[in-house]
Amino acid sequence: MSGATTAAAYLARRAAQKERVRILYRRALKDTLNWAVHRHLFYQDASDLREKFEANKHVEDLDTIDKMIAAGEATYDKWRHPDPYIVPWAPGGSKFTRNPVPPSGIEIVYDYGREEND
Amino acid sequence: MALRAAVLRHIRLPVQTLTAAGSRPQPQWSFLRLFSSHDDHLTKEEVIDRVLDVVKSFPKVDPSKVAPDVHFQKDLGLDSLDNVEIVMALEEEFKLEIPDKEADKIDSCNLAIEYIYNHPMAG
Repeated sequence: MSGATTAAAYLARRAAQKERVRILYRRALKDTLNWAVHRHLFYQDASDLREKFEANKHVEDLDTIDKMIAAGEATYDKWRHPDPYIVPWAPGGSKFTRNPVPPSGIEIVYDYGREEND
Repeated sequence: MALRAAVLRHIRLPVQTLTAAGSRPQPQWSFLRLFSSHDDHLTKEEVIDRVLDVVKSFPKVDPSKVAPDVHFQKDLGLDSLDNVEIVMALEEEFKLEIPDKEADKIDSCNLAIEYIYNHPMAG
């Protein structure tokens, strides 16, 4: 299957690839922050990651780009942190569903144990 | 007694609400502490100030060009990867977790401020 022939299809494919690259960069950066907690180490690793992405910036061929993105995603999967930092209220965080909203329609009767024949 | 209990159960006092949803109390009531955690959403000015500070402290950005309505790629001349980095910095500043698809769409200061202001968990 050769590359897309019409200009619109080409641009659509490029746009999809660019989105994949952005999402991959985002995840890789978060992962780098998970691994390198100390800020000076993180800056070091983040600039290395950026260099890797910048080195392949000028590739034009669609299939090569696809292969590179797949290779990048495989590397990302290999390096994923087993215990990533997740914001507490987000799914997977420590505060998630800690205090769920009580179901509606339930009414608490504050009679403090008072009985009917008082 | 049963009658008294029944009457007490059904009496309701009129409730006084604030003027509009999310509006802050008037300045003369600033000594009044609100202990509820439902009214402490960020004000728009706070959000704008913090977002602009984050963008200005980005090393590749010229601080004098930053305004609340700049577009990261068109006005500030940044890359799409720089865009990703700025969104990550905003996530860290406001302790948010933005899903990947939403984060991809944040392209300008305007969108960032809107998103953060409307997020219920923005800190």
